Amino acid sequence: MSRIRGPFYSAIAVVLLTACGSNSTTSEVATSTARGTLIQNPPLRIASLDAAALTAQLNASASGQQLLELAQAPTCGVDFYYIQYWTVGGANETATATGALMVPTGSAAQCSGPRPIVLYAHGTTTLKTYNIADITNPSNTEGALVAAMFAAQGYIVVAPNYAGYDTSSLSYHPFLNGAQQSKDMIDALTAARTALPQTLSAATTDSGKLFITGYSEGGYVAMATHKALQAANQTVTASAPMSGPYALAAFFDAVFYGDVNIGSTEFTPLITTSYQKAYGNIYSATTDIYEPTYATGIDTLLPSTTPIDTLFEDGKLPETALFSSTTPVTGNATLDAALAVPKNPIFALGFGASNLITNDYRLSYVLDAVAHPDGAAPVPMPGVPLAASPQNTLRIAAKLNDMRTWVPHVPVLLCGGDMDPTVYFTLNAGTMQAFWAAAGLPAEVVTILDVNAAPTAQDPFAAVKVGFQETEAQIVSSQGQVAAVESYHTTVAPFCTAAARGFFSQF
Amino acid sequence: MSMTKKAAAASALLALSLSIAHADDGVPSNTVRVGLYYVHYHTSADDISGPYVPTGLNLSVNDVETLYLAYVRRLSEHFDLELAAGYPPVTKTEGRGPATLGSVPYNGQVISTARWFAPTLLLNYKFFDESHAWRPYFGIGVNYANFYDRRSTAAGNAASGGPTSISLPVSVGPAATVGMSYHLQGRWSLYASYSATVVKSKLTADTAGVMRTSDINFGPRALVVAAGYAF
Repeated sequence: MSRIRGPFYSAIAVVLLTACGSNSTTSEVATSTARGTLIQNPPLRIASLDAAALTAQLNASASGQQLLELAQAPTCGVDFYYIQYWTVGGANETATATGALMVPTGSAAQCSGPRPIVLYAHGTTTLKTYNIADITNPSNTEGALVAAMFAAQGYIVVAPNYAGYDTSSLSYHPFLNGAQQSKDMIDALTAARTALPQTLSAATTDSGKLFITGYSEGGYVAMATHKALQAANQTVTASAPMSGPYALAAFFDAVFYGDVNIGSTEFTPLITTSYQKAYGNIYSATTDIYEPTYATGIDTLLPSTTPIDTLFEDGKLPETALFSSTTPVTGNATLDAALAVPKNPIFALGFGASNLITNDYRLSYVLDAVAHPDGAAPVPMPGVPLAASPQNTLRIAAKLNDMRTWVPHVPVLLCGGDMDPTVYFTLNAGTMQAFWAAAGLPAEVVTILDVNAAPTAQDPFAAVKVGFQETEAQIVSSQGQVAAVESYHTTVAPFCTAAARGFFSQF
Repeated sequence: MSMTKKAAAASALLALSLSIAHADDGVPSNTVRVGLYYVHYHTSADDISGPYVPTGLNLSVNDVETLYLAYVRRLSEHFDLELAAGYPPVTKTEGRGPATLGSVPYNGQVISTARWFAPTLLLNYKFFDESHAWRPYFGIGVNYANFYDRRSTAAGNAASGGPTSISLPVSVGPAATVGMSYHLQGRWSLYASYSATVVKSKLTADTAGVMRTSDINFGPRALVVAAGYAF
């Protein structure tokens, strides 16, 4: 053995001496948990599509072809980044959240250099795994919409998934919590601005212009974010909230009176969980609000990894019956009539035998609305004020999150469709317009766009209106009136988004 | 084979070789060899899996040439113990699959590099006796492969979506060789051999905390041409 040792170890030494070096590293992970901190810097680029590849991807589906027709052919390519950031939950608890940063790329002038940012808020989804950044997922239609409409035309897009979705550390979603959701949006924007110079698309930079938009829940969130940024003296160039429940307290009252919206059995658990987490006083037990059939586990039901149709099939939620078709009888004929099953067949869909909310809770809510009426529903009052002193805790929460608490300083477009059975356009956008008018806001600051209205002379939105109405007519003729009603809220979205882009292009 | 079993096999090989060694018969006991390795990889890998990875993404490893260094201990007239180690070559991994990922080139792009420190310990059996100039031999042994200086290239970072760190755990696997030696004159000989080694590892790429993996069997086949000096 001793004779081996010398040359043996010499040979080992030769090869060992060469066995040193360093490995490549990935992104840095932030140690701070402060709001707006980008967790992985640089962030992951999920996909990079040049204009031709993006066009090809959209052309691969019928919905993509329709979108291309509306959005026009991409001028820019788009890099899709997945951002992870620190924000807070509804009770101000520290939480992580994720979202998208879409960066225009390419040689055309509007695809690099200083570009405006569109801060986008997505609509309600019950699917917990939702990730708007994942453009490789064919079901990510809203991601494709904002990519085609904004990023492919030279806007940097920042779109949070919201706390409670995707890989967020928050166990629930602070649905329609204006304070939290505006913070989430602002934190996503801060993180995206940190990320942008470090990305593979660093030739595109932030011009400083900021546009805010979003659809449905996102329309509400867009307005709440505009309000919060304005209050913080941060730059907002313009905003275009779309089809959102801005006059939240009036909207809730309308639903409890009987104007039940499509989707209410999904929205209601999201709302009560959100406000219970934030304020702690919505219920002592879920049976205070919900029928025993559904009460157990409803506070953790949504968002879910299980598709909503499966939840319906499994009896976790009723599909449409928010209230009992055997309505409360109080002896007050006027009130009993108000609580009766509506004649409007769409509202009547919200009533059934296997209902979600108890008659007792509905009645207590409506009695509070009668005693402390909202100024916009059921009967509009001058100035459409909020209820003075509601006592029902859900009505108090709705008042706290209602948007009738601010007046914008920069131009706002409120777009929607007046026949929307999911988020009532006139009750929400019309109430905000009336509120702002009463507050003395010059009319030219706010543009109300009803895509279902007839185009007027010199109408800048004539093409959007005509396009929407032709599409609706096609749906009615090919799929029937019921399908057209059920899809109305979704059908409005791309047309309002096109209108928002046109609106932003003025600035 | 587990790492424990592989270590046991290496120990058994050493024990066997020591038992074969016997008294000095006047023939030099030590030889150093220097030559060239021509390494060809018969790579087979699982498609890369993980978040945001389209189907059908695979890998291959480019062939390399590198300096061959070996120390050979003569155990008996017919047995040698060979410790072979090439100068750690930079191996380049290419993407295999779609031409592009979105608009990012993939197929045929060098997406990562790594150096291999991969010594092999072989127990060789030589035919004929010392008087023969030409002596064929074969050997079996154990290979240890440590992958270091692991780097994702610019093309790899573009395909992965950002700066990427790569993990490739150590591989220990069996090795076999067949060869021929030719005694030139005095202490000098020439050698040629062909070796096959089992080198398996699990590639894990970390891009901004997102992990993508692939189990790889590198399947290296090495042709060696070398000169040796006995002392």
